[in-house]
Amino acid sequence: MASSIKGIDELLPLSLPLFHMLLSLTEGERHGYALKREILQRTDKRINLGSGALYGAINKMLEQGLIVESDERPDPHLDDERRRYYRITPLGRRVVRAEVVRLRALVRMAEVRIGVPDPV
Amino acid sequence: MVDFAKLYRKMLKVYPASFRQEYEGAMTRQFRDEQRHAQGRKEHLGLWLHALSDLAVSAPRELVRELGQDSRFALRVYRRRPVSAFIAIGTLALAVGASTGVFSVTSALLLRKLPFGNASRLVELRFPPFSAGNGRAGFAEWRNHSSYLESATTFSTSEMNLNSGRDSLRVRVTETSANLFSLLEVQAHLGRTFVPEEDRTGQNHVIVISHRLWQQAYGGNPSVIGSVAHLDGAALTIIGVAPSRFDYPGNVDVWAPTVFDFEVIPKHGAFIWQTIGRLRPGITMRQARQDFKADVARVNPKGLRPESSSVPQLVGLRDQLSSQIRTSVLILFSVVLLVLLTALANVAQLLLSRTAERHQEFTLRSALGASRSRIIQQLTVEATTLTLSGTTLGMIVALLVARVAGAIMPAQLATQEYTLLDWHVLCFAVALTLITGFAFGIMPTWLMGRVQPSTKVVRMHSGTSEAATGRLRQALVSLQVAFTLTLLVSSFSLGSAFLRLVHIDLGFKPANAVTLKISLEGTRYQTEGAKWQYYSAVKERLQSMPGVKAVGAVNYLPLSNSVLMAGSIQVESGPKVPGVVLNGSMPGYFRAVGSELIAGRDFGFDLGKSPEPPVIVNEAFARESGFGRNILGRKIISPWTPRPYLVAGVVTTARMAGPEYEGGPQAYWPVEEEPPSALTFVASVSGDPQHYLTQFRDAVVGLDRSVPVYEVKTLDQSLDETMERPRFYTTSVLFLAGLALVIAVAGVYSTSSRAIIQREHELGVRIALGASIQQIRTLILRQGTVPVAFGILAGVVGAAGCGLFLQHLFLGISVSGVTAFVVPSLFLLLIAVGTAWSATTRILSIDPIEVIRAEH
Repeated sequence: MASSIKGIDELLPLSLPLFHMLLSLTEGERHGYALKREILQRTDKRINLGSGALYGAINKMLEQGLIVESDERPDPHLDDERRRYYRITPLGRRVVRAEVVRLRALVRMAEVRIGVPDPV
Repeated sequence: MVDFAKLYRKMLKVYPASFRQEYEGAMTRQFRDEQRHAQGRKEHLGLWLHALSDLAVSAPRELVRELGQDSRFALRVYRRRPVSAFIAIGTLALAVGASTGVFSVTSALLLRKLPFGNASRLVELRFPPFSAGNGRAGFAEWRNHSSYLESATTFSTSEMNLNSGRDSLRVRVTETSANLFSLLEVQAHLGRTFVPEEDRTGQNHVIVISHRLWQQAYGGNPSVIGSVAHLDGAALTIIGVAPSRFDYPGNVDVWAPTVFDFEVIPKHGAFIWQTIGRLRPGITMRQARQDFKADVARVNPKGLRPESSSVPQLVGLRDQLSSQIRTSVLILFSVVLLVLLTALANVAQLLLSRTAERHQEFTLRSALGASRSRIIQQLTVEATTLTLSGTTLGMIVALLVARVAGAIMPAQLATQEYTLLDWHVLCFAVALTLITGFAFGIMPTWLMGRVQPSTKVVRMHSGTSEAATGRLRQALVSLQVAFTLTLLVSSFSLGSAFLRLVHIDLGFKPANAVTLKISLEGTRYQTEGAKWQYYSAVKERLQSMPGVKAVGAVNYLPLSNSVLMAGSIQVESGPKVPGVVLNGSMPGYFRAVGSELIAGRDFGFDLGKSPEPPVIVNEAFARESGFGRNILGRKIISPWTPRPYLVAGVVTTARMAGPEYEGGPQAYWPVEEEPPSALTFVASVSGDPQHYLTQFRDAVVGLDRSVPVYEVKTLDQSLDETMERPRFYTTSVLFLAGLALVIAVAGVYSTSSRAIIQREHELGVRIALGASIQQIRTLILRQGTVPVAFGILAGVVGAAGCGLFLQHLFLGISVSGVTAFVVPSLFLLLIAVGTAWSATTRILSIDPIEVIRAEH
């Protein structure tokens, strides 16, 4: 169902959960629950994705071609075979980078306007 | 212990099928994991709350997304077979629209609350023991001591001339007892309504005007309160303006508390008193009816005899207001429901064949892993797209139907206007959409019941499911044929009754006749001499106009909805003829209206000087007197004049109330003798009578501006108005029957062609074994005709039942006799057989070699 023909700009801005999920996936393949836990930890429990929201987002990213389902299992002994793992696609990487660029530009613009000093 | 994960899994059913199929497992597993990690009650509770809120947010989002995809897919499916989709949507739109439209009329008349306080306690009393005729004191005495009525009011409505100081208008006036407004619990928009004593002679020189009249004649000026208006010459003070939505008893512009007073506004001719009342709280309708009957029996024991034409009755006010069209609307509503059912059967057919045709697709998808619920969801969305488009379009049709109905059979009160924006109607439309959507939504589910991934993908038309759908399709065809035949028989009877009405001899000739009304009430022409002079001047003026062939005038013109006065007339040395309508005419009337004098002659001016004034009677009178044409030269005595009259002529009987009703006996006396205060002029003209209307009005108004001239129109227009309802019923039933016929033919065609597709293999083998194409066509035809025959049998029974109700639509309809049933049945059978036969041409394309080869 990949429809990566869409321009990257059309996919931006990414919603915060989507951004976090893609960010996690850049580090390697994950299954749904792992993504959820990682984001929970990284955001000090501020973003707690429900299953519906989580798999809704996964479904959407699959359709948009940002991620694919992976056939490989990192460690078949450790993990439950039935879990599905997801892998980020090159398009997904480009999108998450573009989002970072967008955010950085936004932050810089704001810094210039209100004069926030660089953190020491 | 409760397995919470299982419970959670159950809750996931709210997600759309595809999403569920994909993630149900993962989500449940995740829930289990989280459950394991949670410690203590608080965390468990938090987990549940989180899961629930997540569900509430994400399930609708996924549902919208997936259903959007499904409906886009559905549109692609329908685009592949646009004709059958178009037919299904079109018939559904027409059927749903027509039924919603007719329902809006039903709702406005029978369900909507009347705009009066506590309207459910309001009743009309027909032929009550007391009315305005008993005088103010008698009426008050009766109403104040009634055991079942809290209050009652009596009134009569007639047309009068209103002079507002600037214009002279013809308005409808209700003369009433002072408590009409308080009984209906209606407050004035401006000023006040009547106080209890204001219907006393001497205190009753007041009126309340309608909001409409206030706007039109007084420009909505508030200073109208306290000003004086003249009603038929009587000077009355305007004390109030009624609220804009109030027009009881219907189309009224002025209310005057003068019902007990015969002098303030002079009363002429015939008028009808109506009485309405408010039941005491807690009295049921049934109890009220018993009390009312007892009341009538006490005052007038003869009044309750059933053979009397004026049986006292107590009816709810809403029923009374709708009584004119109630039955017709209910009949039309049933007819429309029949068409709706036929159309629904057709949509069912379409969905059935679609599901059957795509059996292969679904089996394949199912084998590739699509869940059963996924396929069912797709089918349901397809069905819903279809019904939703049909019903949406149907609302436009409904709007049109409501508008046409409003023009042809308007409700009595403005607040009963037919609209779709009425919560009953909206509920009806929504319910219709939901029911059709639901019925067609679950049908695929039922059909898909047997599809299993394991069934052989290659052999599609296997067994039981097809046989079941086949039987269902045949049942649907029988149903369609039965409904269609019922409608065809009905429209055949209606159509032939209507044609009889059109060709009936009216006793006059409406073509080329122009009519106009003049009223001298409240003008300066009050003496008999002055009136006659004015009327003669009008006649002369009209006669002198180019193209005018004959001019006359009459008291009561046919087709004009007048209240007629009738009485018994004694023929000298002969019988008493009852129920004779007394009419007056000016010389030239019969020629102008196209009634033939079959004996004697018309009034001449010299005849007025003879000792016995002349009278002209109609054929019905002559017949009922027993003398026939020999009535000529005999004397008759009317109850209203002491002098005898001499019969000078016999004229053809006019159907006064239109083609539906036979004309009764009438006697015309020369109006010259005692000129009435209103007359209707008739002129026969050469060429198109429409061209004369303005000329005529201008000519008469030119004589004297203070005299109102109204209802200037052609007699053909009046005839059209009289025929409007029969025409409306006939055309609508004909149209609906036509629609049903088209739907049924489509049903028959698709069943027959479907049967061939289903049995292609078998038929191919038969051909290969030597059966001729003709033999096979006959075989298919015979099988296709069976459901039609069943349908026709059921339809005949249905039509016979329907016939009993149809007679209420207009007079002259009879659903009896062999022709009424046989002609439509044969017609339908021929069409059905023809359609089935044309469907069998498909057989020609069967190649037996191909069929047998496919077997291996």
